[in-house]
Amino acid sequence: MRRIIAQARKELTQTFRDRLTLALALVLPLVLLALLGTAISLTVKDIPVVVQDLDQSPLSRRYVETLQTSLTFRIVSLPVAVQPPEALAASRARAAIIIPQHFERDLQRGRDTEVQWLVDASDANTANIIRASSAALTQAFLARLRPAATARPSIRAEMRFRYNPGRESEKYIGAGAFAVLFSLFPPLLSALAMSREGEQKTILQVYTSSISAHEYLFGKVLGFMVIAAAEWVLMLVLAFALFGLRFAGDPVPLLLSTVIYLFCSVSFGVMVGAAIPNQATAIQATQMGGFLLSFLQSGFIFPVANIPLGVRWISSLIPARYYIVVVRDAFFRGGGWDAVWNAPLMLALLGGVFFAVAWLRMRRMQVEA
Amino acid sequence: MRELFDNRTSRRLVALFVKELQQIKRNRRLVASLVFLPTVQLFLLGFALSPEVRNLRLGVVDESHTSESREIVSAFLESGSFQIKGYYESSAALARALDAGDLDAGLVVPFDFARHRARRETAGVQLLVDAVDSNTGTIAGGYAARIIAAFDRRSAQGSPPLVLGVRRPPLERASVTARVALFYNPGLRNDWFMVTGMLGVLLILNGSLVAAAAMVKEKEAGTVEQLLMTPATGTEIVIAKIAPLFLLLTLDIWLALGTGYFVFGVPVRGSLLLLFLAGLLCILAGIGIGIFIATFSESQQQAQLMGFFVNPPLALLSGAMTPVEAMPQWLQPLTYLNPVRHFAIITRGIMLKGAGLNVLYPHLLALLGFAVLLVGVSVWRFRKQF
Repeated sequence: MRRIIAQARKELTQTFRDRLTLALALVLPLVLLALLGTAISLTVKDIPVVVQDLDQSPLSRRYVETLQTSLTFRIVSLPVAVQPPEALAASRARAAIIIPQHFERDLQRGRDTEVQWLVDASDANTANIIRASSAALTQAFLARLRPAATARPSIRAEMRFRYNPGRESEKYIGAGAFAVLFSLFPPLLSALAMSREGEQKTILQVYTSSISAHEYLFGKVLGFMVIAAAEWVLMLVLAFALFGLRFAGDPVPLLLSTVIYLFCSVSFGVMVGAAIPNQATAIQATQMGGFLLSFLQSGFIFPVANIPLGVRWISSLIPARYYIVVVRDAFFRGGGWDAVWNAPLMLALLGGVFFAVAWLRMRRMQVEA
Repeated sequence: MRELFDNRTSRRLVALFVKELQQIKRNRRLVASLVFLPTVQLFLLGFALSPEVRNLRLGVVDESHTSESREIVSAFLESGSFQIKGYYESSAALARALDAGDLDAGLVVPFDFARHRARRETAGVQLLVDAVDSNTGTIAGGYAARIIAAFDRRSAQGSPPLVLGVRRPPLERASVTARVALFYNPGLRNDWFMVTGMLGVLLILNGSLVAAAAMVKEKEAGTVEQLLMTPATGTEIVIAKIAPLFLLLTLDIWLALGTGYFVFGVPVRGSLLLLFLAGLLCILAGIGIGIFIATFSESQQQAQLMGFFVNPPLALLSGAMTPVEAMPQWLQPLTYLNPVRHFAIITRGIMLKGAGLNVLYPHLLALLGFAVLLVGVSVWRFRKQF
């Protein structure tokens, strides 16, 4: 036990001496959390649109006014010579709205009429949103036209958006980024430290000392877990301040899962570092295996259920995927142990596997050396 | 005299170029990571990031137990967007399941639902939507509203209108519909959006990583001094270093385009040549960033760690993965300082929209500017260091 603690202290001293690594460990995650939370969002506002009003009547202008009052769209002017589809091709606008001639006359004669919406669908999600708002806006225009006579709907759906009533995207993404970033930085630090020993051959000194392989590895993992835990507290404070996240229920499942998750990701780094005795390659491997996969397969931006089955099995091997569930439960639903009991178990299993592989690798190296 | 000088310069360049090529050829890992990584990354990105909302898990509380209430539940089922996960005894049980994350939405049909409908009064139903994921929540809410409106219309057609014989004024009879035509990507495939956006991210990322590694390697091994002692000038050394990497990276353009075309079916509707040219500029910008990083670092791993400070902002603030319109207002103009942003507009313009030089020239010029500026500044910094 004393040897484990000594090893952990050695890792801490070494990390604090290198200023670049220290900035990487403490500052960069905070910057990235803020960046991810603000930059990644799918809630588009002020979508630029162009309007071609071929009718130029009071009613058609009313339609344009309805557009202007919505927060979703922003009307940009259409130069006289430019046709609406060209504005789409030039990325000047995301949608072009064409109000036909005789729009007012048709309406006053009680004839049905159509407004054309040409939508740039190269961004599928935004196009979906535009399509939905086009229908809603047209309904709103009609409702304003005949306030009294709008037939009362016979079914009224009372819609409640739970857990995130304002549907704030930065809360959702922020909570996810909080989880995913711990799949990048703690493993990066531990992989660097471990592969450095291999690269600079200082590992030979470890072999000759009285410390055994598991004590050595535990010491390393413990040291980096301490750094990661400090980082976790800093990140939590930032997430609370920046995204307005709060604990929705019992924080104990989160705290316990955090300890196991940090063990899991630090062990992953140690495993990579033990397998690759070259710092530059180890960084790349952590980046690909740890971060990119966590980013894509953890349900960070889009639900895991959307991933096609052929690729989805990968996600069950990704620690961040389980931790993200715990984080979202703690910050939004507050379901407690009933909702997340299996996540810490899976994390412990994965962490155990990572640690065991690192240990086996280390033993083999010892024999080879 | 001058001719002789020129001749010598080019011979030195060729010699250096051959040396670099041989060095790269021996570095299998570099070649593998240049060819293999981008393809895998694009593959994973296109498949993994899909915003489609299907098979939402719906929990039902049917307090009414009538044929009317069963009809509305089956309307949700028939829509294809929802699947019934289970029936619950009470709203409280439903709320618990929602808390546990077992459901995406819940539908409560109150006990007086059928009675209200029989009396032709407005009957209420309650929908609880899990909005933790704001995007999915919004879309789910929209689906539910549409399903209920459609159900309403269908049942209204079946029954005679309430008020007979009253002729409504024309304005109230007519209706307006928004006819939506989806351009460029009528199948609304999100992988097309991802692939066209990530192309630039991959080129810049790989370009900067590889260039930084190559420049630093010489510095780390201390062989830079030997190179500088040769008659070759600093610029020549840098050009000879960049050129083979540049050639290798152009392979990446074709690999990525091939993956896009064969795996995801992304079309190239505009000029392939123009796209390739823009890709070359993008690679140059990436190499420029790489050398710039290299001038600040002493070792390979330092250069790579520096990359963490530069690359994520470039990738995230480009509109490659998420729409720029969704970013905060103050951030949006800043994205024009990002070469990836311009390249994403160009790839989407050429591949999906079939746009040509006449509309894309501002972005091409911007990209050219970035490439020249980045390479120029970093070469200048590199030379100044020795």
